[in-house]
Amino acid sequence: MVKVNHVPMGLIETPFHARLEPLSRAKSWTGWAGFISPLVLDTVEFEYFAIRNQTTLFDISPMHKYRVTGPDAAAVMNRLVTRDVTKIADGRVGYVMWCDEEGMLIDDGTLFRFSATDFRLCCQEPMLTWLLDTAWGFDAQVLDESDAIAGLSLQGPTSWSLLQDAGFAAAQNMKPFDWREVEPDIWISRTGFTGDLGYELWVPKAKALDLWDRLWAAGDHWGVRAIGFEALNLCRIEAGFVAAGVDFQPVHAVMRLHRGRTPIELGFGKMVHFDKGHFNGRRALLQHREAGARYTLAKIDIAGFKPANGALIYHRKKKEVGFVTSGVWSPTTKRNIALAELKAPYGIEIKDDLWAEIYVNEEGRWDKRLVPVTLQDKPFFINQRARATPPHPF
Amino acid sequence: MTDNRFDAVVIGAGHNGLTAAATLAQQGKSVCVLERADRIGGMSRSADLGGATLPEMAHLLYNLNPGVAKSLGLKIASRALPTVALCPAQQHVVIQGKTAQYANGDAHPDAAAYAALYQRLKTFAALLGQLAEGAPPALAGGMLNAKTLQEMMALGKLGLGLKRLGKVEMREFLRVILSNAYDLILDELSDGPLAGALAADAVRGAYAGPRSPGTVFSLMYRLGNGGDVTLPIGGMGAVAAAFADAATKQGVQIRTDVDIASLVIANDRVQGVLLSDGTTIHADAVLSSAGAMQTMQIAGIAHFDVEATRRMRHLRNKGTTAKVNLVLRNLPAFTGLTREQTAGRLLVAPSAVAVERAFNPAKYGGISKSPLIEAVIPTLTDTTLAPDGTHILSAIVSYVPHGLEGGWTDAARADLLDRVVQTLEAYAPGIGELITHSQVLSPADIETMTGAPGGHWHHAEMGIDQILTVRPANLMARYAFGVGGLYLCGASAHPGGDVMGAAGRNAAMQVIKDGVLR
Repeated sequence: MVKVNHVPMGLIETPFHARLEPLSRAKSWTGWAGFISPLVLDTVEFEYFAIRNQTTLFDISPMHKYRVTGPDAAAVMNRLVTRDVTKIADGRVGYVMWCDEEGMLIDDGTLFRFSATDFRLCCQEPMLTWLLDTAWGFDAQVLDESDAIAGLSLQGPTSWSLLQDAGFAAAQNMKPFDWREVEPDIWISRTGFTGDLGYELWVPKAKALDLWDRLWAAGDHWGVRAIGFEALNLCRIEAGFVAAGVDFQPVHAVMRLHRGRTPIELGFGKMVHFDKGHFNGRRALLQHREAGARYTLAKIDIAGFKPANGALIYHRKKKEVGFVTSGVWSPTTKRNIALAELKAPYGIEIKDDLWAEIYVNEEGRWDKRLVPVTLQDKPFFINQRARATPPHPF
Repeated sequence: MTDNRFDAVVIGAGHNGLTAAATLAQQGKSVCVLERADRIGGMSRSADLGGATLPEMAHLLYNLNPGVAKSLGLKIASRALPTVALCPAQQHVVIQGKTAQYANGDAHPDAAAYAALYQRLKTFAALLGQLAEGAPPALAGGMLNAKTLQEMMALGKLGLGLKRLGKVEMREFLRVILSNAYDLILDELSDGPLAGALAADAVRGAYAGPRSPGTVFSLMYRLGNGGDVTLPIGGMGAVAAAFADAATKQGVQIRTDVDIASLVIANDRVQGVLLSDGTTIHADAVLSSAGAMQTMQIAGIAHFDVEATRRMRHLRNKGTTAKVNLVLRNLPAFTGLTREQTAGRLLVAPSAVAVERAFNPAKYGGISKSPLIEAVIPTLTDTTLAPDGTHILSAIVSYVPHGLEGGWTDAARADLLDRVVQTLEAYAPGIGELITHSQVLSPADIETMTGAPGGHWHHAEMGIDQILTVRPANLMARYAFGVGGLYLCGASAHPGGDVMGAAGRNAAMQVIKDGVLR
């Protein structure tokens, strides 16, 4: 064997890679936070419909995970995020956003509360130094658990049935956003990025493959499939979830001026709790609230069936007022859907006469179409099974 | 007690705190000043040692703001002192304003060059001086905003002043403003005590050598109000007392020995101050002359944005100035100086190179064997300060690190005293024999006694990255300090340190302008 005496270069294998590699027919991989992650393992269509009709496993180990502990842990988390974490109970998970001093979104993520003195923050962007700065002066410790904890997302209508067969019956009465240690070292949260029934399972890295094998063995009857990012991305747009770096630009990662957006502009005004005391960016956000939103991130329905990713949006077919940040054809709802950023007052006061300019390539010939845009209030995909407790067996 | 409600509370009874309080009181506001120490004055106070009254920390007035003095009606008797640049070869140079000559009356070969340089720096300094008279410009409102326009007018005045200098001088100003004192001085003068004196004045109190960028600015800053150095009659304590008198005359209450536990804050607005004894003093505004980080900690870190805390954590405030006070049984004999010259401001800074070299050990937690000294014997000017025949020598020793390697032990203080006395022996042989009492204050001691962060006498280094619109830091340069009604009014705010009072007055005016007080 060749002895390597330098820092490993290139992408790193996740704890589940040994199982993913043999399943990959497409050999379509991407880099995710430095790890090898599948874009597609088989075909996007198979994988997408497995999420909506069966159950799927997606490796979320590359997510950044931070543990914040200590007497002041709750105060630190409350200083960090815009919502009031004292209202998240022990054993619950909260979707959270956090801002810089100008009220611009740094990142979003999920906050897992063990207790008032123990939290885990899961997010897309590296956040260690920001958390250390946030915790400075407080009696709290910050630990980067990204490399120590493996995560597996189990999503789809038969997820619960699979869990039950795999011996995790203890998860039966878990409500959405509950989380608990179902067995020593195995934590399950009823969370996900699909808008469907689903769970996320968290184990120490060394126990990752055992968990995979246990779920896989119980899953054949329930149509389990391993999936890649592309199928998941279709589902998250259907569910109306925003993605960092796509639907908003994490403000610490941008160089250009005015690329930052407030949570209010992204449609999360309800998650900004001005009455909880000071939190980062509060004063700036108050001023923004006063001045009114500069932009809005809208859910839109686009005529036709050509995915509109990146399309510019016009008012009265003339004035450019925004663009699509995420656009896909939604196989389940049979609609051409998208998230789009519109410049105020478009999308807020002015909602009519909006048009998307879509470029289509028909066998080598490019063509341009202006198609009508309709604003939507609700996520495109909503299904009762996602919230039913106990979950329905399928 | 109904006495515990005021319009404003000022934290710290140094000259800036007292100025802020007096200024607010002049506007008809009720003000209470809270001082942690048992005495007022901060760095400008007197101490008793062996029956003598000595200037415990600061010993001379450089930059007392004329506007502050006038509006407060400060009556401080003081005498202008010549500067005597001591020379190891006894070729001492006496500097008075723009004239420089040898102590024996001979002409100095660089006298003309010095006069021209001095005049130029003074002109430049006067231009910059006007920026000290108010809050630094924010220019945040856009050109249609009345406030911004007002600020633009002030900046326009600076620009116009620059234009009036003429093309050559304007270019010169822009050329040197950010550069280092060493090059500027040695472009004009040969290196020696005269150049050394200028170099030392450019860096006193700073964590910078004359070759550090931005030291031309600090030299100009020193000349900001004419550059006169005066010795207050009655000791430094008289200066503090004058500030305090001005404040009390306006109805300001001053309380010493007060320990503040925290600020009372509700709905992101200051409501008052909670003392350690459980008393609450209610106020609509709190002005703090404590350091920027201490102020943040008193208020509670949780009330500030992470970025603001980070900036305060990273403020450069490594104090480099120690104080050595000596009581002498007789007047020391400085070789080659008359009694009148001995009464001057005595500088041990033999050359610009020597000043730079003296800085080197400080970077690594050490002290130079040839420390830089600014000494004054105030008893020659004001005989009331010490019993008959005895004298005091007050020495500000530069480049003494706050974080001395091995820590500030008694042995370390004795060693510093020894170095200072050894250095002075070269100019006043036998001075060591005359010492009856001595006091050594390291930057760490000064920090403990006054709360000045790092023992830094400007609370934060006067570097180009920490002045004007970025003093103490970006987004916090206009005295308002995060929480509604909380203001910085000390040396860490614009325009900075020295016994000047401008920061205190500007902060008070900003409080009025912001309409924080009912």
